[in-house]
Amino acid sequence: MKKFNLEIAVGFFLLLGILSLAYISINLGKLEIVGKSGYTIYPEFEKAGGIKPKAVVEIAGVEVGTVKSVAISSDYRAVVELSIDKAIKLQEDAIASIKTKGLIGEQYVQISPGGSDKLIADGGKLRETESAIDIEELISQYVFGKV
Amino acid sequence: MCLERCKGELMEKKCTLKLFVLILGLSLSAVFPLYAIAGEPTDQVKQTVDAVIQILNNKELKKPARVEERRAMIRETVEKRFDFEEMAKRSLARHWKDRTPQEKKEFTSLFSDLLEDTYIKKIERYEEEKVVYTDERIDGPYATVRTKIVTTKEMEIPVDYKIFKKGQKWEVYDIIVEGVSLVNNYRTQFNQIIRSGSYEDLVQKLKKKALK
Repeated sequence: MKKFNLEIAVGFFLLLGILSLAYISINLGKLEIVGKSGYTIYPEFEKAGGIKPKAVVEIAGVEVGTVKSVAISSDYRAVVELSIDKAIKLQEDAIASIKTKGLIGEQYVQISPGGSDKLIADGGKLRETESAIDIEELISQYVFGKV
Repeated sequence: MCLERCKGELMEKKCTLKLFVLILGLSLSAVFPLYAIAGEPTDQVKQTVDAVIQILNNKELKKPARVEERRAMIRETVEKRFDFEEMAKRSLARHWKDRTPQEKKEFTSLFSDLLEDTYIKKIERYEEEKVVYTDERIDGPYATVRTKIVTTKEMEIPVDYKIFKKGQKWEVYDIIVEGVSLVNNYRTQFNQIIRSGSYEDLVQKLKKKALK
């Protein structure tokens, strides 16, 4: 009887250990198993400027979603899949821009809300976009002079 | 030439057919000179751009005494293609809905004055720049016409016209220069002014600018 109890206790703690390990790895890795309650929109950019999945989507400096994936369309434009919090409604004329934090900081998507009555539905397209500004290009224009 | 070579009835028939096809082709290309290359959106934007360039190149109008007249002509041409109300609405974004119809009207006219003052002076400095139409994308009632302004020094400035279909016409609602949207630029500025003050402050500022 005594031995049996000990085995149960060991098993219990082992299970607890595995569970907490799983919790930590999901939390640290920001994995989405159940999937956050959000909806998806698809803006298309001329130049994505190397934005990566898990980059932040901001409105007025507040995180409202993340970049899920980046793909290329048939006419060689960048299609960026954004997951947006359900509570945030986006109008049809909202503008998405790819910005850089500081001069060499990470890239993020900034959305400036519009004023249209029509809202973008789940899986909808965000038509108005501003591509990433290539700072290197600007610097090279400055360094080598505008021809 | 062709007729000379044609001997016998059969040959003659072939020849007239060839001539017919040739004439048909020529007349078709005369009737639709541009439609074969560009779509309707590009065509309509090009019409306006060409009309403005024509005014700018008019030597008679370049005389200092006729500056005002020239400015008025450019204004008139541009107004036909640009939907200033839509641009004002998009720039004001959320704050547009809170306005009364009268305020909307007043704001649209102030906003178009602002754009004209800012950009007509830039356009007036035009010197033999060329406009190249690079691409066109249609998405339902919306389209983008991509162009490049090639300066005399061979520098290229990408300018995209965002247009939408209004009846039979395509009208411009945003311009993207070097990747920067005009509407988004004003949207950020207007929002800041309204946030830190009020809508009246914004109107005052625009009025002051118009008086300068």
